[in-house]
Amino acid sequence: MSMKNQIAVIGVGCTKFGDLFDQGYEDLICDAAFQAYDDAGIDPAEIEAGYLGTYMPGPSGGKASVSLGDALRLYDRPITRVENYCATGTDAFRNGCMAIASGTYDVVLVLGAEKLKDRGGRGLPRFGHPLLAKGNSAPGLFALAANRYMHTFGVGRETLAKVAVKNHYNGARNPKAHLRSEVTEEKVLAAPMISSPFGLFDCCPTTDGAAAAILCRADLAAKYTDAPIWVKGVGLSVTSGRPYYDPTFDYLGFRSTSNASKQAYDMAGIAASDIDFAEVHDCFTWTEVSNIEDLGFCAKGEAPGWIAEGRTSLSGDLPINPSGGLKSFGHPIGASGVRMIYETTEQLRGNCGERQIADAHLGLAHNVGGPGAVSCVIVLGNEK
Amino acid sequence: MIGISRYAPYVPRPRLPRSEISRAWGGRAGKGAVAVANYDEDALTMAVEAALGCGVGRVYGGVHFASTSSPYLEKQCASVVATACDLPRELFSADFGGSTRCGVSALLAALRAVQAGAATDVLVTAADVRLASPDSELEGVLGDAAAALVVSDGDDVIAELVDAVSIAEEFTYHWRTDRQQSVQVAGGRFSNLHGYARDLAPAIGAVLQRQGLEPAAIAKLALYSPDTRAAADLAKSLGFASEQLVPSLAPEIGCTGSAEALLLLARALDTAAAGDLILVGGFGEGADVILFRVTAAIDGGRAEVPVQSWIDAGEPLESYEKYLKYRRLVEVDEPTDVVTNVLESKELTQNVRLHGSRCRECGQVQYPVARVCIACEKRECLDDVPIARAGTVFTFTVDHLIANLEHPLPMAVVDADGGGRLYLQVADADTIDIGARVALTYRRLHEGAGNRNYYWKAKPIRA
Repeated sequence: MSMKNQIAVIGVGCTKFGDLFDQGYEDLICDAAFQAYDDAGIDPAEIEAGYLGTYMPGPSGGKASVSLGDALRLYDRPITRVENYCATGTDAFRNGCMAIASGTYDVVLVLGAEKLKDRGGRGLPRFGHPLLAKGNSAPGLFALAANRYMHTFGVGRETLAKVAVKNHYNGARNPKAHLRSEVTEEKVLAAPMISSPFGLFDCCPTTDGAAAAILCRADLAAKYTDAPIWVKGVGLSVTSGRPYYDPTFDYLGFRSTSNASKQAYDMAGIAASDIDFAEVHDCFTWTEVSNIEDLGFCAKGEAPGWIAEGRTSLSGDLPINPSGGLKSFGHPIGASGVRMIYETTEQLRGNCGERQIADAHLGLAHNVGGPGAVSCVIVLGNEK
Repeated sequence: MIGISRYAPYVPRPRLPRSEISRAWGGRAGKGAVAVANYDEDALTMAVEAALGCGVGRVYGGVHFASTSSPYLEKQCASVVATACDLPRELFSADFGGSTRCGVSALLAALRAVQAGAATDVLVTAADVRLASPDSELEGVLGDAAAALVVSDGDDVIAELVDAVSIAEEFTYHWRTDRQQSVQVAGGRFSNLHGYARDLAPAIGAVLQRQGLEPAAIAKLALYSPDTRAAADLAKSLGFASEQLVPSLAPEIGCTGSAEALLLLARALDTAAAGDLILVGGFGEGADVILFRVTAAIDGGRAEVPVQSWIDAGEPLESYEKYLKYRRLVEVDEPTDVVTNVLESKELTQNVRLHGSRCRECGQVQYPVARVCIACEKRECLDDVPIARAGTVFTFTVDHLIANLEHPLPMAVVDADGGGRLYLQVADADTIDIGARVALTYRRLHEGAGNRNYYWKAKPIRA
């Protein structure tokens, strides 16, 4: 069943992203949700169901959905926690869409939240099999793919640096972004190594933040807003969560992204070339390079050329991460996907000021986690 | 014919130059270096390394592990060596310890078992990582190494057992109580004459007399030496010429404990000719002396990597402080994780024997063990298959962030020869490249719940 034009985004909210040392997990949920309530002009009593996207629930909330209910006193209705690696936020949104499309609920709250800085310096705990996963680091896992890609296509670290420079430029123009400083290619290349080929500026920061979106049945949207944003297509696909043990994997990109985007494009009845801008999962600079190809914007191996030509910059023909991306906006895991829905909605409404993309009608949000194990793609539009 | 059919020395790559020790503590700068087990090595891993050097995929009739510095005071290591070498379960295995003589004792016990017809192809491993107190007289003397030999009854024997004599008597030379981590010593001229020579000399004399041999008939003497000169003094006093003594390893890698006499034997075998008589002597609360005659099979049975190549492959540690860290003589941030005995037991074949699965439908070899094929997605068509312990790096990263004792740590995705893809830490290297050839090595990975956890790593195969 196609969900195209069946669901409207009627309200969004997003906290400032960053090192939010003086705020708690529930503060972030409240700030994001209250903005979304106000944006939609909705009474929370009208919300019939909630989806909490979170990788690590708040300290008081266990692993269940109760963190969202407790923070907002959103009791006596269904709330579900969604966790799907770094695709948590977009998958929570996807679940919200499906809940409405099924006809079960009319109005749904989707909220992504993460308080990584409460977990100590590096934020993410180690997980996985004690012997097979070996305490790997997130940059170390994506770096395996980056090195194979760069080896195969003869790409240097300069290409990665150009992604960092662009996303810092965009983030500097975004008041809610975590990192708001511009950087030069020289500075990026000279930064300390984290996991080769990634230096410090090739990595997204560890960030606190939350974002929210309120969805409703398409025919109810006019009750809340004059400018609903329409869900055009959604897709999600998985591959091995242990790609490093998959002997069939070429390590040149992520087929979960290709599959998820194809699902979303098919549902929307569009081609990749119809997309006007995209918020993609640039957890590391190389991931953005691969995403551009995996999402079908260009063929494998062509993204470095696109990047060098500036086609993905704010003024290019396919702006990528006008918000600054994970690189600059920050990456509170479960919040990131919902933050992308927030940014895409605001772009499609024309609310993005300095970083506004002219004449944008179709925007894409994309998460990939795992690395490459799970991808989620959402296409939104401002015309029915 | 009963004797040694194969052998493999192992010397860990890091070297602690004696000049670094004097840089730390003052005093006259010594020459040479001692071999130092890497931060992820211990006597168990080094024994596995030497055992694998005797050939991967061979089946043995027994496994002996000899060490005075076993990583476990309670828990057998010989059986771990057997499992890591993927040997059949029905097997006699035993740990030998006590004194540095245990390496030669383990060899002699294997020879006796084969002589008795109770076993053949017994794998004998000896390894030591003996600790000296910082700034003590033993620091800069003790070195880390291992050796493995296979004792067989067959035409492939390269060094035939001729005779052996043992002495057992208390003499306090080196010791370590159950409360001490560093080796204690009452050495010097008295101990060499009234302990070492008192026990070894009559044992050597008895073998020569029983075989009707003069000292000149012996081609090589492979004698354990409790210090840098005791063996040379003993050989001279018994009427041997200095050329008959296998050159000491002490200047370049230190005194290597239970592995030493076996390494000297290996060094002799590296260049021996058929007919050569080699006398091996071990010491510690008595002595074991074994006489071997080199056979015509020697040229086909020499070690793949001779002792000299292991010595030459040393890499100096950048500082004495690194050594303190590697031996945990300073407080370190040990990576932690827990492997319960439930998980260990359930996944033993996969994690220690290193078996994966091969698809009967499409032939794809895969790791870890699977129920549904990763390539053709058919179910219940996967057979158990051993994964090769060598392969080629498909991709890699050099990780500065990963939880580990040493940084940066190269991580590699390795396509094993014959199929199966592995994700491994890289040992003994600061970096690695796509296409590099690697061998698998069993190393310490992390610690948790009061125990040490081991797993396979990749190490570059160096030309």
